This record gives sequence, structure tokens and C-alpha cells, in this order.
Amino acid sequence: MQNSTTKNRLFTLASILALLLVWKLLAVFWNQELIMPSPEITLAKLWMVINDTNFWPSVGATLGRGLIGFLISCAAGLVLGFCAGFSAPIYWLLQPWVTVIRTTPVMSVVILAIIWFQSDVVPIFVTFLMIFPIIYGNVVAGIKNVDQQLLEMAHMYRVKIRRIIFELYIPSILPYLLAGASNAMGITWKVIIAAEILSQPFFAIGTNLMIAKIDLETAQVFAWTVVTIIISFIFEYLLNTLENKFRTWG
Amino acid sequence: MAFILSNINKKFGDLYVLKDLSMSLEEHQLICILGPSGCGKTTLLNIISGVFPADQGEIAGFEGKTISYLFQETRLLCWKTVQENIDFVLKDRLSKSQRTEIIARYVDMVGLRDFKNYYPDQLSGGMKQRVAIARAFAYPADILLMDEPFKGLDLQLKTALMQAFISLWLMDKRSAFFVTHDIDEALLLGEKIYVLTERPGAVKGIISNDVPHQERNLQNENIRQVEQEIYQLLTDSGRE
Repeated sequence: MQNSTTKNRLFTLASILALLLVWKLLAVFWNQELIMPSPEITLAKLWMVINDTNFWPSVGATLGRGLIGFLISCAAGLVLGFCAGFSAPIYWLLQPWVTVIRTTPVMSVVILAIIWFQSDVVPIFVTFLMIFPIIYGNVVAGIKNVDQQLLEMAHMYRVKIRRIIFELYIPSILPYLLAGASNAMGITWKVIIAAEILSQPFFAIGTNLMIAKIDLETAQVFAWTVVTIIISFIFEYLLNTLENKFRTWG
Repeated sequence: MAFILSNINKKFGDLYVLKDLSMSLEEHQLICILGPSGCGKTTLLNIISGVFPADQGEIAGFEGKTISYLFQETRLLCWKTVQENIDFVLKDRLSKSQRTEIIARYVDMVGLRDFKNYYPDQLSGGMKQRVAIARAFAYPADILLMDEPFKGLDLQLKTALMQAFISLWLMDKRSAFFVTHDIDEALLLGEKIYVLTERPGAVKGIISNDVPHQERNLQNENIRQVEQEIYQLLTDSGRE
């Protein structure tokens, strides 16, 4: 087990090195910083970006928006998912809404949100519309998959409803919820930055990307992209750890 | 006070599941309901436990009684340990100190003291069924309903579990309805055996088995005699 983990890590490392190598080769091939800045130029730019006074406020603001959007989606997904999981009428009432939300193109939502809201709120709103259906769908699926025999057992032993919800339903849907959440978390950062690029809040990773693009600072675009990837990676890792912890229940 | 079912009828749509079925159970008695698959045994247990009512007929003696259950599946919560699983059904009824004491006692009695903090996934199938047995007895119930709890287990495991069950039951005699399609199980456990007909289920005959549980095994003369009676009953009506 230990051996295969180290082995897997080696493969991952080799893969990252290959990625950097391909990147470097492409940069050499084009030989134009404007189109394809090399890894070392990007790294230098990244260092500059991090040391800029603008960096932490921007990262903080984007993180804040992402987390707010994500948490609101989780809360709404959990509550409405529970209602829909228990009641067929509520499920069918919500179904068209969820479908509309799920299928609306991200950019339509962004454009409308820019018309309707302040620039700071736009990314949160957009994230909510993108993430909520995922969480909601997983919660509903989780409730529908609760073991009927366990439920029957709990009812026959006259366990109180409140305890059936907290001690039977919630643990049963937790794996579904976490799978949905880690899936949603990855999407959150992509959506939030797309929305920020268009809505241009004062402090935002997306705004910085847009400014870099206007200034034709391709290396800076790369540097901010790297920052986003790192953020995404950290959150994915955290949620995966949580998910693995609870998977043993399944 | 006895538990009495008289002339129970139950239909699902056009399908007659139980027809004029009557039986009675003395307190602290263990009766076996023996019948082929699909003869309405589970339906009967559901009527007793009040999951749904009978279409016709009377049941008496069950008012205000609490019931515990042993199912064919262990039905344990895999996110709770052995003792938490038992606690799950006790929590709404007993105080913390009572629960601790009762859980410890029954976990001991089924031989799982060292495993009380294990999760079901860490236990073997037989151990899980022992937990279910401990849960059924730990629950402060007057009546125990058992729906083929030993079905599908290999012979060795089945024998061990039935022994665990019998020794627990002898110490703590709950009034029990034990449903099975297996003649051997009926012979080893039942004090009174109700043989049911095929669907619609009705009582074909009642056979009492007075051999003390400690002396029962399938080689025992008296048990073999009871077995003969059951076979007689089954073949007799086959000729009708």
C-alpha cells in the first residue's frame, strides 16, 4: 500500500515535469513572450504579482466571494433538496426551475447579473446559479437512496422522527453531499473568475486577469492563472480528504 | 394474558394472502410459524406490528405492547458502532445510565464485548446478526417478532446463532413469533409450531414441541417425532 502510494506520487511528479517541459518547449518554439511566456518568466511574474500590494486583497476578495457563493448554494441545496427528497409535489414543482437554472449558459447569467447587481455581487450570484443545482441534485439522489430497510427498522422500533433525520438520513446522504460539494468546488473557482472578468469588481483575481490581458502582459495572465489553479487545488484537496474520511461509511 | 389473532383475512388487490387465520400465544412463549415462501408470513408479522391492519378479523392483547424485531437482514447503521447501533433504538425510551448498563449486558451476552466499539463493516456476517439479536433483546419489548433471521446463512453459522439466540431467550423469555420456512429451525426453536398452508395462508395444523430447549438437537428422539408429525401434516393435506 505504502509502496503503491509512493509509486503513484512518482507518476504524478513525472507528469508535472512533463507538463513543464512541454510548456517550455512551446515557449522556445514560438519564441514570443507575448504569445507563450516561458515557465521561468511566468514564475518571475508570479513573484512580482504576489508582492504587489494588490495581491492579497484580490485573492481574499475572490476567495470570499467563492466561499459565500458556495456556502449559500450548499445551504439552499440542502434545505430544498431535503424538501424535494421527501415530497414528490415539491420535487416536481422545483424541477422546471432547476432545469432552467442548470441549462442557462453561464455567460447569459453573467450578463444579466451585471445588469441587475453591483459588480461585487455578480460573481456570487452566478456561482450560486451554477453550484446550487449540483448540490441540490446530489441531496435529492442521496435521500432517494436511503436504505428503505433501515428506515423500516427505525420506524418499527419507534425511533423519533427528529433522530431518524439526524442519525439516519443525514449520515446516509453525507457521501452524496460531499461528492457533490467537491465537484461543485472545482466549478466554483472557474465560474467566479469568469464572472469577475466581466463584472470587474475593484478587488478580484478576474479583474487582474482582465487588466493583464488589456496591457498585453501575457506572462501576468499566466501568473494569475497559476494562482487560481493553486487555490482550486487546495480546496479540492481539502474536500477530497473530507470525502475519503466519510467514504468508509458507504 | 395471551396474544390472540382470530380469523385474520388480508387481501392485496385480488390476491388473498391470509385467510381465516387464527393463532394464540401465551406470554413468554415462543411460537414458530412454518410455511412455504409467499404464504403470507411477513404479512402476518406486519399485521401484528401494526404496519397495516387486517381486512377482517380480530387481534387482541397487543394494545400498548412494545415490539422488537429480528429481520433476515441485520439492518445495522454502518456509521454507528455496535453499542451505538443498540443505543439508536433505546435512546428515546431509557435514561443514559440504564442504556449503558443494558447495552453492556446484551453485548456481553452475544459474546461481542471486545467488539463493542467496532463498526458493522469491521464485523463478520455472523457477528452482525449477533448485534441485531442483542438489539432486539436490549429493546424493552414485550413481544419479539422474527422474520427468518437465520435465512441464507451457512449451517455452522446458523447453528451458532440459533444457540446464541436460545441461550439469550431462555434467560429473558420474550413472547416471540418466529417465522420460518425451514423445518429444522422450527424444530429447534418453537414451543408451538403453526404449520401454514400455501397462499392464501391459513393454519393447517398446530404441533406442540415440549422438548426443553437445552436438550434439543436434530438427532433427539422426541424432536424426530415432532418432525414426523410435521411431515405427516404436510403430506396429508397434499392428498386432499
